[in-house]
Amino acid sequence: MKRKMDPVDVVIVGLGAGGGPAAKVLSEAGYKVVGFDKGPWLRPEEHYSGDELKFQNRSYLWPDVNLMPRTVRSDDKSEARIFNFSPVPSNVGGGTSHMAGWMPRPRVSDFIFHSLHGALEGASLADWPYRYEHLEPYLTKVEWSYGISGLAGADKGEGFRSKAYPSAPLPPTSFGKKFYEGSNKLGINSFPLPMSHLTEGNALGRPAVNRTSFWNQYGDPTQTRSSVATTYIPEALATGNFEVRADSFVREVKVGKDGKATGVIYIDPSGLEIEQDARVVILALGAIESARLMLLSSSNKFPDGLANDSGLVGKNATFHEYIFAVGLFDRDMEDPLHGWTGNYQSGGSTHFYETDESRGHIGGGIIATTQIGQAINAIMPGRPTWGQAMKDADRDYFDYSMKIGFILQDMPQETNRVDLDPTVKDAWGMPVARITNKPHANDIAMSRWQIDKNQEILQAAGAKKTIPVYLGDEFTGNACHQQGTVRMGTDPAKSVLNEWGQAHSVENLFVLDGAGFPTALGVNPTLTIMAHSWRCADYIANTYMKGRSERLNLSPIKKS
Amino acid sequence: MVSKADWEIAPIHIDPDTTEKLFFTDHEWDTIEAAAARIMPTDHDPGAREARVIVFIDRYLSGIDYLYAAADGSGFLQLADKDAHAARARNANMQRLYREGILELDTKARELRAPSFKEASDQIQDEVLEQISGAPKPVPVSLTSREVYYSRLQGNTDEGKSFFDTLCLHVRQGFYGDPVYGGNKDQMGWKTVGFVGPKSLKDTMDGTYSTAEFFIQEYDWEDLVPGFKHSQDPTSNQQQNGQ
Repeated sequence: MKRKMDPVDVVIVGLGAGGGPAAKVLSEAGYKVVGFDKGPWLRPEEHYSGDELKFQNRSYLWPDVNLMPRTVRSDDKSEARIFNFSPVPSNVGGGTSHMAGWMPRPRVSDFIFHSLHGALEGASLADWPYRYEHLEPYLTKVEWSYGISGLAGADKGEGFRSKAYPSAPLPPTSFGKKFYEGSNKLGINSFPLPMSHLTEGNALGRPAVNRTSFWNQYGDPTQTRSSVATTYIPEALATGNFEVRADSFVREVKVGKDGKATGVIYIDPSGLEIEQDARVVILALGAIESARLMLLSSSNKFPDGLANDSGLVGKNATFHEYIFAVGLFDRDMEDPLHGWTGNYQSGGSTHFYETDESRGHIGGGIIATTQIGQAINAIMPGRPTWGQAMKDADRDYFDYSMKIGFILQDMPQETNRVDLDPTVKDAWGMPVARITNKPHANDIAMSRWQIDKNQEILQAAGAKKTIPVYLGDEFTGNACHQQGTVRMGTDPAKSVLNEWGQAHSVENLFVLDGAGFPTALGVNPTLTIMAHSWRCADYIANTYMKGRSERLNLSPIKKS
Repeated sequence: MVSKADWEIAPIHIDPDTTEKLFFTDHEWDTIEAAAARIMPTDHDPGAREARVIVFIDRYLSGIDYLYAAADGSGFLQLADKDAHAARARNANMQRLYREGILELDTKARELRAPSFKEASDQIQDEVLEQISGAPKPVPVSLTSREVYYSRLQGNTDEGKSFFDTLCLHVRQGFYGDPVYGGNKDQMGWKTVGFVGPKSLKDTMDGTYSTAEFFIQEYDWEDLVPGFKHSQDPTSNQQQNGQ
């Protein structure tokens, strides 16, 4: 027999970048909130350290592919294989536990991609149901509460900002300096990209980041990297209105006769199945798992999955493949570049962000020079794998190479999607997410053009050899960015959610992660996910829960 | 279930000089040590043999007790429930892969008229490794050739790799991993490539270990970002800090 917990106002499934801000806003507004995460609640000061084997080779934080597999295939005709696609940590904090922490703002153009470009054949471009200016106050709120360092005004193409950053950026690293030199030679506007940490003398009065360099894919034991597990979750708990249930796997969202969500069914740490009723259900598991949970939650009212009357749940997935170029420098002519130092990125650019059709593609994205990593996994494509040649390559280039990466803005396509794998199940016995994806021709063209440009910058900086890493035949999910599977929009036939992340057909169901993003953005999505979650949670707290939705004078943005 | 957040720490420490074998037989130990020494050879800098990569691999293969060091290096985490179950299954596969791989090394060595792999000359050992890798021995990196690559997943798991690729990866891990796992004795691997790593894992936890000294110490954003003016921009940090 199922056990039942006392009902609460709000249930949040997934306590990462999407769930964290919502937990804070709603519990601070006085609502009783329960947050679920299928992973553990790790204690940074006790569980994290600079251990390359544990974090990068042995998946202490990344999902164990035997327990939480995903499958991937390139089209409907190919067989899906198990692959750790877009591996985001399953724990309280989610992706903010391991992310390097790039926190650039989206641009004005990101919200009107369809209006700017019209239809692109083979893609499903769409405008967002709101504009940059609607999000701007929330971008600022996140920057000033979460803790971001940056240099306001240095990005010449940035949209309006109401306030500068609370903290100056870290100084450049040696490889960062090379990047600025190369960029400046070519007239490229480069600047220190905003990062989710604070430096000395920040306006929030929090400890400065300690420049440990064990950063990308590591948990931070010093808690000086901003993470929702060390900011918004504790703030929510401090209200007395919030409860965390870790190691608890939500397997279904329940739907009542009236078609509204009534709560969730979860499996608690001892394996018991428990019901938790709530007035509002918020999904924030990341775009892959949010779509999966909706598809798992089929009912009489929604036989094809929760709120899936449009048939769009899972479709239009975008993944931001991370690609790069590496430059090798001559150690007899140069000082060491110390590519293993720094807190991941040091210097970046949005110079190539906006569409310039003379490049042969539309859209663009952000580039940045980043660490090559510590010694085991130091990034050097084509490094000899054994023998004297490997040892020589390690010794010659570990300290004399640098990388310029690119967040590829992939175009949404309805055929790139998440559905339920018919055969593979996870450790809880539930069908796993199957990802079907194939890059659009525009993605391939953008990959080529930008990585070649990155090689030019490396050459201008003095690299003797450059090695390109382009987008392949499939996305690998290596950016750990997920967007688009539960699109927002103004038209219920062409989208699942409205501009508040609220399901068109289930008024008390909200999806507040990157799943709602109709297009992928050309920047890392985390800041936008957090600001979007805050904005929607504001609406839930102050408008929806108070029964004021009808009084809201909605003037939906015209479809283009 | 025991949450990952509450896994016990067993106070196990690995002596890098040990010759006690937890998984390998004497012959297997010598064979893998010899192969590792061809993968990361000794020259004017230490190689896999001196860095005691064999101890690292032996401990890793012995079970799941040495999978994750405690964050501060005070011992090893004791996996529980689902995680332990999955790790044990993986470990059993890995043990089988190595046992079969060692047999193959010896078989190929005998085909080249050596008594066994470990007793073969460097040249024959290399030839055997070439055969099982299915490719010629790697040549030095060329600054003039041009190669093109495609994206892949970050991180470097040993899941699903062949014996040869697994061995190469494990040699790297043993040579460059934190010494707490038994390899990289006296940080020999790190010193070889110029990585200034932490003295101990504990130093990475409280801010003791920092790479701050390797950042550029004197810089001016107005030089690095031409056209950017700290003082005149109404949204600059300086102005903000002055408010």
